[in-house]
Amino acid sequence: MSLTSALSIAQTALLNTSRQTNIVSRNISDAQNPDYSRRQAVIASYAPGARVVEIQRSANEQLFRQNLAALSSFTGQSALLAGLDDLAMSVNGVDNATSPATVIGQFQEALHLFATTPSNRTLAENAVDAARQVVRALNDGSAAIQTARADIDKSISEAVTSLNSLLQDFHAANSEVVAGTRAGRDVSEALDKRDAVLKKISEFIPITTLKRADNDMVIMTGEGAMLYEKLPRTITFDSIPGYSPGATGNAVYVDGVAIVGGQGGNTSASGTIAAMMQLRDNVAPTMQSQLDEIARAMITAMAETDPNGVQPPAAGLFTWSGAPAIPPAGTVVDGLAASISINAAMDFSIGGDPVLLRDGGANGAAYIWNTFSAASYSDLLNSYNAKLDDDQSFDLAAGLGSGGTVGTYSAGAISWLEAMRQTAAGAAETKNALMVHTAEALSNATGVNIDQEMSILLDLENAYEASVRLIRAVDDMLAALFAAVR
Amino acid sequence: MKTSPFVSTSSVTQAVRHSLLRMQTNLISSQKELSTGRVADMGLALGSKTGEAVSFKRDMDRLSGIIDSNTLVSARLKSTQEAMNQMTTVAQTFLQTLTASVSGDASQSIVLTDARGTVEALTSVLNTTLNGEYLFAGINTDVKPVDNFNAPGSTAKAAFDAAFLGHFGFAQTAPAAANITGAQMDNFIDAVVVPQILGTGWETDWSSASDQGIQTRIALNETTETSVSANEIGIKKLVVAAAVVADLFSAELSQEARNALSSKALSMVGEGLSALADLQSRTGVVENRVKRASERLEMQVDLFERNILDMEGVDPYEAKTRVDTLLTQIEMSYALTARIQQLSLVKFLA
Repeated sequence: MSLTSALSIAQTALLNTSRQTNIVSRNISDAQNPDYSRRQAVIASYAPGARVVEIQRSANEQLFRQNLAALSSFTGQSALLAGLDDLAMSVNGVDNATSPATVIGQFQEALHLFATTPSNRTLAENAVDAARQVVRALNDGSAAIQTARADIDKSISEAVTSLNSLLQDFHAANSEVVAGTRAGRDVSEALDKRDAVLKKISEFIPITTLKRADNDMVIMTGEGAMLYEKLPRTITFDSIPGYSPGATGNAVYVDGVAIVGGQGGNTSASGTIAAMMQLRDNVAPTMQSQLDEIARAMITAMAETDPNGVQPPAAGLFTWSGAPAIPPAGTVVDGLAASISINAAMDFSIGGDPVLLRDGGANGAAYIWNTFSAASYSDLLNSYNAKLDDDQSFDLAAGLGSGGTVGTYSAGAISWLEAMRQTAAGAAETKNALMVHTAEALSNATGVNIDQEMSILLDLENAYEASVRLIRAVDDMLAALFAAVR
Repeated sequence: MKTSPFVSTSSVTQAVRHSLLRMQTNLISSQKELSTGRVADMGLALGSKTGEAVSFKRDMDRLSGIIDSNTLVSARLKSTQEAMNQMTTVAQTFLQTLTASVSGDASQSIVLTDARGTVEALTSVLNTTLNGEYLFAGINTDVKPVDNFNAPGSTAKAAFDAAFLGHFGFAQTAPAAANITGAQMDNFIDAVVVPQILGTGWETDWSSASDQGIQTRIALNETTETSVSANEIGIKKLVVAAAVVADLFSAELSQEARNALSSKALSMVGEGLSALADLQSRTGVVENRVKRASERLEMQVDLFERNILDMEGVDPYEAKTRVDTLLTQIEMSYALTARIQQLSLVKFLA
């Protein structure tokens, strides 16, 4: 009966070839899908013929994990960079044109011009207007920082929502994998889906995965908190709709463990959530403190003094909510940059007298220097100019040291931010390169090469043709046998 | 990283895509650098030095502002010098007249006319304005520093009349004035007129100027007085000498008293002239200081400009080469993409 068995083997071969062709066509159709892993039909021999036993999915755990880690660190870094870009633009303007450092320089120029011709009221108004620019830069910068914090808070909240729903997706995929594996089904589709979800999760948060029996998977965060084990764990976060200087935001909890925000320009944050927390709780508040310190230094430098030394110094051209007192030296006053304003007594747009800047006396007669209202009295103006160039003491907590003039301090604030941005941009490039590289390696290990599939297809065609030829030959032989018998 | 001989189709196309994206991003910033001559993103290029560049620019603007204001100051000082030259010329002519008067070569009327003319000329020079500010008013630049002694209603004239009356017991126009002796006249000048002009009388009755001059910052940490007040002793002496002569020469004085007055006035004008010369040289010193300060500031501005250029400038040739190279690379990568697309087994399977 060997002819019948040859026929049956040829039939099996036809079946195998068509199954393999099916795999090839699926591979080709998903060639450009980065989440697809190439399938291979592995043929194992069983007596009396060959048959397709299983579909193997090319997977490379190590490369996949490397890719996940690279993805996390790149998304974290690029989130930080985007936040820094945004803050630099909204606080300092294009090419730092509206930065406090620049407008303070313009104010000093205007003040000097007025001091040169103190009899000119227009120049007095010009100086007050320049002061208004300083106030606006500080107010707007402070508002931009707090808006950015609120926006980041909202983004964190959205990220947490997405993460929770991704964990549900993961649960569905993982359950399918486990059930399919137990039943001995082909679970490649579910595995692809599960890997895709993992990639998305690692954009938000760094993860480590652990495989268990029946292809079951456990996910933990980089810090070791459980994200998924049989069931998804909940991630909780209380969003705060509005931020004020000095207010602290809430942490994100994974299974009760708080996510730690990143540190530094080349951030330690992996995933967007940690990077956003770094921006919200570290970068933005520091910038706010720096603006507050600049505001305090301006109020102090421009404070009015009593020529007889009896009255305490009082807030002059720049004033604040605690006026007429001067804010204490060397200590950050939260929100000072938001509350600094032009002294109403000198603000000509609301009926004040800008010439008080030359004469003194915005705080009453005790503070008048130019007692005879001499038109070209410039001593007070010159003393303001000198005080603006004097060293002041600053709070170390703002991260820019404790000394320097208001001019060098405000320039230091720009340096601080731009240094961080430069480091972040460099690190983003490196981390992006690593991510691209690992993605490429992963794709090379698990992806589809169409040319290869086409050559396999040629083989399959030949095999199919050979099998058909075989059937025909057996048929001919049987026919010859039958003819001989007849 | 594991190296595998296997290459997936998507990684082949992705690789080209990634490098193309990077090149295009570079192209945009390089083009910006080429057109502006400065780095595309100062912050990314300079990092922690960005603040330095910003403060260089700020200081440059401030220094330029001071240079501009120094030209104003120089103009004021130049006008002041010019005015003092005029006063010197006027006073010297008056000095000649007085000399002639003392030696008896000039008649009363000539001396009187010249004295009156001198008072008027000095008054008008002292009341010179520049940009609406009185040059010799000290810091009271909105108030006319001296009134015309000859004009009716002059407080200086009234004060002088009162002083004369107080000293002699009669007005200078009274007939008794003819009996004033030379010694009495000398005494009047020394005991009344000189203390009055040197004391508070000048500032209450003669001048509205302040002693304090305009203080101006001529460099970041250099402040100096950049105006001359009408209260300077030289100016006071010239004005008072001319005014007293103009006033008393119209009265019926004895020749002896007139001669005494002339010689007193002569010495006062002489003193005044030398004090004025002193004042002029002091003003010249200030002028020079302002000029030197401006020169220093200009050098600093140049230095800052060069520093800024060093920090954020881009070599245009280098930028141009970079743009050209990038364009070539991008074109090659387009060509490559097209070739890679062609390079497929499918094309060869009929």
